[in-house]
Amino acid sequence: MVNMMPTQIRSISLTSLCALSVGLLLVATLNIPTHAHHAFGAEFDPNRPVLLTGPIVRVEWVNPHTWIHIEVTDDDGSKAIWMVEGGTPNTLLRRGLRRDYVQPGTVVVVDGYQSKDRTTRANARDLTFEDGRKFFMGSSGTGAPYDNERR
Amino acid sequence: MICRYRLLPAVALLFLAVPVTISAQTTATPRTPSGHPDLSGTYDIATLTPLQRPERFGEQAFLTEEEAAALEREEFDRNLDRNQASNPNREAPPEGGDGSRGAAGNVGGYNSFWIDRGTSAVLVDGQYPTSIIVDPVNGRQPSLTATARAQAAERAASRPENSGTAWWMIENGLDAPGPYDDPEIRPLAERCLLGFSSTGGPPMLPALYNNLKRIVQTDDYIMILIEMVHDARIIRLNQEHAPSNIRGWLGDSVGHWDGDTLVIDTTNFNDTPALRGATRDLHVVERFTRLDADTLHYEFTVEDPNVWTAPWSGEYVWPVSNDRVYEYACHEANYSFQGILGGARILEQDVRDGAVPQQ
Repeated sequence: MVNMMPTQIRSISLTSLCALSVGLLLVATLNIPTHAHHAFGAEFDPNRPVLLTGPIVRVEWVNPHTWIHIEVTDDDGSKAIWMVEGGTPNTLLRRGLRRDYVQPGTVVVVDGYQSKDRTTRANARDLTFEDGRKFFMGSSGTGAPYDNERR
Repeated sequence: MICRYRLLPAVALLFLAVPVTISAQTTATPRTPSGHPDLSGTYDIATLTPLQRPERFGEQAFLTEEEAAALEREEFDRNLDRNQASNPNREAPPEGGDGSRGAAGNVGGYNSFWIDRGTSAVLVDGQYPTSIIVDPVNGRQPSLTATARAQAAERAASRPENSGTAWWMIENGLDAPGPYDDPEIRPLAERCLLGFSSTGGPPMLPALYNNLKRIVQTDDYIMILIEMVHDARIIRLNQEHAPSNIRGWLGDSVGHWDGDTLVIDTTNFNDTPALRGATRDLHVVERFTRLDADTLHYEFTVEDPNVWTAPWSGEYVWPVSNDRVYEYACHEANYSFQGILGGARILEQDVRDGAVPQQ
């Protein structure tokens, strides 16, 4: 990490072998798009990893990418609003998820990389609730009876 | 009694006729008042069938039913895995990047719940093709011309891994041109001009998400609304192409009816059509045939002598969808573009300030 970051934005300098394993596991399991609206590699800085925890304060359910705003509190009590980038909202809308599904105040955990312009923006590489559950579910494997029957 | 027995054959015929009638109703081709097949509707073209046949299939043109079921199961299981909870005590990802490739560019992307690439393989005439491409018979694009091969190699070499530095200045000097110098040299999808993966085409191909197409039809025009980036293809029927100096991102499309098949011919592309690698000399012929009330058959042939040494063709089906095409106002919140250009300026300043050592 190059600059001072809030302690809740833990850098890889804290990395243990265990954390590295988690990182590698995430790479293996996350859906890594090979084509997308824009190259995330052009926008985000691999030298500025972040882990953000905080309540959602606002959701921009917009195109081409959803932006979820969360309030991150540093150890000294100072607060900053971080915007984390997700995918297109159309997919979620078609699955019946609307903007008001996401309640302000819901605490989320996001890992990703800070924007190269060094504003408080990052990609939502993995967006979960505090207990690790995924914030939304993908197109299958939802646990619905139909899915279970197919298995 | 005699009368009752006489009725029996008629009753039996009635029972036999009912399923036939239902079948005819479900497979009837809807038609417009002028008699042409009515292609209008919304279609979801997401499919697990790839454009090019994976090399492991060799000359195998079709999957067995078991293989098709395995493909679906594989995707289902992959999504199931991706939906599992993460470690709530996870650390930040690795400094220096997570090693991801492609558009994820060493920093990853976002969760799979934003991905919608379909749940099944294409079924054409009762069979599951191993690729959308059907000609050449190996299911893969023909070899590139020498010029196209050299250009592809040059493009690949000019895209180093995302290092989080202004590599173009480090490698080539402080005054060297870079890929972020001008917004107009950035990719079309990034600029919200065209969707990626030739989603609007032509030819129109499945993409990672936003795969809906909406067709509106009159006797003189066909309009195809592309969900991604909200492109609208306007096809003039029974007209000549525009003069060759009039060019567009989606080319110039004219169409006509060949029996019950709509044939669309597209030329007059800009220098960078949506189809990866294609040039302004791209020529695409598409054929739409309504198979039944729920399905269109889509075929296409691509020619671009600057790029491919032979024409190539593909086909797949477009199933009707009850989903709605939501607006995709790409420019409204394209913060990413601002971040990309602004980020490049900061990385360049780092090099000027000596914060990043030059080679």
